[in-house]
Amino acid sequence: MAVPDRIVAVEQAYDDLLRRSLSKIEGDLARLIYLASTRDYNTGKYHHDGLAARFQEEIAGQALELAHREIFGRIAACSLEELVDQVEIYVSSSRQSREEVLQVWQKLEPYRVALPVDVNMAVAQLFVSNIKLALAILRHRYQREELAASRS
Amino acid sequence: MIELSSVIIGIVLLLLGLAIKGWLAARHLQETASATSEAYAAPPCPESFVSRVFSRGDWEFVRGLRADGIERLFRRERKKVALVWVRQTSLMIRKAMREHAEAARQSENLEFTTEINILAQFLILMVVCGILSVAIEAAGPLFLGGLARFAQRLSQRVAKVQESFQAATLAKTAGRIA
Repeated sequence: MAVPDRIVAVEQAYDDLLRRSLSKIEGDLARLIYLASTRDYNTGKYHHDGLAARFQEEIAGQALELAHREIFGRIAACSLEELVDQVEIYVSSSRQSREEVLQVWQKLEPYRVALPVDVNMAVAQLFVSNIKLALAILRHRYQREELAASRS
Repeated sequence: MIELSSVIIGIVLLLLGLAIKGWLAARHLQETASATSEAYAAPPCPESFVSRVFSRGDWEFVRGLRADGIERLFRRERKKVALVWVRQTSLMIRKAMREHAEAARQSENLEFTTEINILAQFLILMVVCGILSVAIEAAGPLFLGGLARFAQRLSQRVAKVQESFQAATLAKTAGRIA
């Protein structure tokens, strides 16, 4: 495939991914975790059955990588307050209790695998630090809510 | 007169010390070869990064929570991020200077004023990295936004000058071979 055709195909696959999959996921953090989960831990390559069926495997992989980088860039650039909101949306949308999710995220730090490959080291450090802080802030907020509820 | 010369010597020594501190700031990243190559290969920091890390916006939000533990965590984490950025910047400047020295060796018509200008910018950046490194370790990054933005702008300028110098040297070499 010629380079301009390939670019057009990746853009089409990217739009398709946004329309069919990502738009149904609430919040950028949840989208980031979803996109990171489509990446193979060993090869670093992205795979999505539906997208690969509609486009070529390689084109689908590139579209997923593009979306991953873009959403990561948005999250890394947002303020701590906005990130706390993002983490809250993610935690609230989980089937597990929010305290359980927070505890596991603080212990296992699964968000570290959400980093795209070849990301700037300082930006990666900021992302990890901010998520750590957002989790601590949410935990503090929930503890205060519980305390207030038990008093009333 | 003696007092004035002592002050001048003191200032020179202080600047030299800070430049060495700035030069050594990259050593933590250089400890492993993979970290160094990662830092070299990675895309540059976006413009907004420095504003985010060194700004007081997030700090005001954290302070509004009135939780000492979170305030301590915030200060610790931001210090860590800021130091990674300073080390990365120092490493990138050193890389640009090394590449410049290599390109300059191959160049036949070096301009003295351009070379002095580049060297001066390099030394200023090393001093600024040294100041940032010491100040962040001592007090955190929150009051250093202006200096960090200056370092970012200057390091970008040095990298651009080096790139165009290298491109010109390569073009001249290719012209001679042809």
